[in-house]
Amino acid sequence: MSLLEASFGFGLVTAAVLSIAAVGFTMQFAVTDVLNLAYGAVMIVAAYAAYALNHAGVTIWVGVLAAALVGIVLSVALNRFIYTPFQRRATPIAVVIVALGMLLILEFGLQAIVGGTNVSYSLSEGSSLKLGGLQLTMQQIAIIGIAIATMVGVHVLLRYTRLGKAMRATAANGSLARNCGIRTGRVVTTTWVLTGALCGIAGAVFAMDSGSFGATSTDLFLVLILAAVFLGGPGQPYGAMIGALLIGLGTEVSAAYITPSYKDVVAFVLLLVMLALRPTGILGVRT
Amino acid sequence: MGNGVAFYATTILVYAGVDALACLGLNYQFGVSGVTNFGFIIFQAAGAYTAAILSLPSASSNGGFQTYVGGLNLPFPLPWIGAAIAGGLVALPFTFLVGRRLRGDFAAIGLLVTAVMANLLATNYRPFLNGDAGLSLVPAPLQGQFNPQSLNYQWGYGAVAVIFALLVYCLLRRITESPYGRSLRAMRENDVVADSLGKNLLALRAGTLVLGGAIAGLSGAILVGFITLWAPSAWTYAETIVLFAAVIIGGAGNHKGAILGALLVPLTFEEITRFVPSFGPPELIPALQWVAIGILILVFVWFRPQGVLPERKRVIALPGGDPAAGGAQAPLAESVAAEDWIPPTPARDQRTPAIAGAPGEVVLSCTELTRSFDGVVAVDGVSLSARAGRLTGLIGPNGAGKSTMLAMLAGTLRPSSGQIHYDGQDITDQPAFRRARGGLVRTFQLASEFKRLTVLENLLSAVPEQPGDSFRGALRGRRYWRASEGAAVKRATEMLERFGLPAQANEYAGDLSGGQRRLVEIMRALMAQPKVLLLDEPMAGVHPRLARRIGYELLELCREGMTIVMVEHELSLMDEFCDPVVVMAEGRVLAEGSMAALRAQPEVVEAYLVG
Repeated sequence: MSLLEASFGFGLVTAAVLSIAAVGFTMQFAVTDVLNLAYGAVMIVAAYAAYALNHAGVTIWVGVLAAALVGIVLSVALNRFIYTPFQRRATPIAVVIVALGMLLILEFGLQAIVGGTNVSYSLSEGSSLKLGGLQLTMQQIAIIGIAIATMVGVHVLLRYTRLGKAMRATAANGSLARNCGIRTGRVVTTTWVLTGALCGIAGAVFAMDSGSFGATSTDLFLVLILAAVFLGGPGQPYGAMIGALLIGLGTEVSAAYITPSYKDVVAFVLLLVMLALRPTGILGVRT
Repeated sequence: MGNGVAFYATTILVYAGVDALACLGLNYQFGVSGVTNFGFIIFQAAGAYTAAILSLPSASSNGGFQTYVGGLNLPFPLPWIGAAIAGGLVALPFTFLVGRRLRGDFAAIGLLVTAVMANLLATNYRPFLNGDAGLSLVPAPLQGQFNPQSLNYQWGYGAVAVIFALLVYCLLRRITESPYGRSLRAMRENDVVADSLGKNLLALRAGTLVLGGAIAGLSGAILVGFITLWAPSAWTYAETIVLFAAVIIGGAGNHKGAILGALLVPLTFEEITRFVPSFGPPELIPALQWVAIGILILVFVWFRPQGVLPERKRVIALPGGDPAAGGAQAPLAESVAAEDWIPPTPARDQRTPAIAGAPGEVVLSCTELTRSFDGVVAVDGVSLSARAGRLTGLIGPNGAGKSTMLAMLAGTLRPSSGQIHYDGQDITDQPAFRRARGGLVRTFQLASEFKRLTVLENLLSAVPEQPGDSFRGALRGRRYWRASEGAAVKRATEMLERFGLPAQANEYAGDLSGGQRRLVEIMRALMAQPKVLLLDEPMAGVHPRLARRIGYELLELCREGMTIVMVEHELSLMDEFCDPVVVMAEGRVLAEGSMAALRAQPEVVEAYLVG
């Protein structure tokens, strides 16, 4: 198995985890204009919920569902009780600072409960699959499968359902959508339910993929999410998918050729270049 | 006092000085200039590392247990000076992020991510700054001459830290109380408007980043000279959030507030754990500290966003006494003043000879100007010209492209194609602030007053070429710019009296009524002494009587030689004041001429004048 093929396999898995997370993040931004910097914190809380079940002997796949549930509850609460009230009252930049505050509260609140040592899921020693030069474990294949299913699901939702159309309308112009009879409040809440589920699932598969994890493990992953989101254009679900694929492959393939310690720098450089040259992203609209 | 307590007190003093410096630097960027720098801690780290490697001997002669670049073994105070320079230089490249018209929160994200990444790099790459383990055994300043372990040295060090904080406080006050500081605050309130008034946002933000960065660098140098070690764990991105919490709690925009915040948040939080009996696992108390910082931010942004010590209102005494103290004088421009007011040019025919005799030359013109948004063509090949001394009206239904036209003429929007000529020059590629400096000034359709500047400050912010409106001018102090400021205040006072708002001179512009805010905007544009004035619905939401009064004022200005282009919906105002009038519809010019002539054209009537 060549280095390139191996890193390509890792890249696919990273891209899979990243796509689930980035699509959720970007959709939250699209409908509410909040850069939810506490997203990574919600992910890791959800991952720990899955760990609690897994630790008690339940299979991790049930844990993933539990993580989705925790993601939903936390995300909806975050939007309802924090972001929406603060948006009415404070400047946009203050809301971003509030999001950072929530990041601290969630992440270190979790650390206060679970302590500072890393944990890992106990996964069944599954067989691995060889596809040409690629070798992937069953868990990795499952993660890719979940990601593909999620992306197809998001596509169907946005393109073919009334809810998806309402979400797109709300994202494009909230007040106009409201005047056209769309119940934007309900659409926003539904969006946070769906994206919360994505966030929770992303947390669990992130923890699965990274082996061992702690309360602050998603700090760096948030950078990758942001890079994917801004690469594709903030608020653009399809852009986030493309961004996730590019960042996932880019970081892992470059890790094979530079040293692994610096693989995230690729994402960082891409993010800064996008912000400086084209803040609206690949698929974004120029204003 | 026992020795232990004394050493503890000196440590507190040093930390107080260092934290105050950092908070002052951040407040200058965030509270004063509105640059949300989530990567602030990078600059402190740059200063600390620089001071360390400048004062350390070379790596090989230092036992070789740590690797680093530099190792110049420089004597004090060179490492501290180097640290301040390094902090400023490291800040410079970030200008490309915040200097452009990037959404403030997007730029903040870029800086946050940079902080995370810089820390990651420093942690993983050992040869540069000894990686994860960091630098240790950093020489204390003047340790050859004094014993750093002695109590006297420690007191002295604490005193130096505090003195530096006070010096920086005085420096920042000097800057922020100057016309330059006013420009910074104007930029904070609304950067697009500041741009249209001739403020160079890129230069202002670069200056802010560099000075704030230098202050942060100095704070890092003072810190590292005292604790003698510096590692990536000392400057995680979360440390920046602590400083933000401090500035928000102390009072953003208020230097004393920044110092208070430094004492309340980083200092208290560091120290309080010494007095709390430890409980639980070792990570528990630090984790709870972070949670508390997060909660503090939320509580303050919700209940007291202006902080413990809110930004001070800059009250400027008007020449000839404070009219507000006079009591009964002109309380509201809309009602009383407008009724008492007698138009200087009561009839239309009186003004006609002034321009009809010598029709002015073309001052501002555009050819084939086009702008499309995401495929929708808002302005489609428009050619227009505005003649000197004329009040040209621009009308058309909603979505006709009037505001887009104005924005392109003023430089707020880049045209997709076409040329703009002003005063004989092609200005198509000139940025807005340069056009404004050349005398081409615009107002905005939506309220665009600088809310947390007083009415007088709003007016003063537009005065061109003030000696105190540059970094250097601000540094030279009040004596340098007092005379010109006095003249500007006098002119602003006359303007306020002319428009009937002298009583509101020292009120925050954001507290005025809608009509009054419109007036402030027009007055502010006039303070810029424009040759060409572009007005975007200046009379919208203004009492009809006041609107007519504004119209007469504008005519008077035209007679004095000004060229005005005005977008307006109210046809009676167009009838009364504007000639010629340009009709736009669906991005094109439909017709041009006097209102009487336009009313005779059926397609114009159909497009716009119906009803």
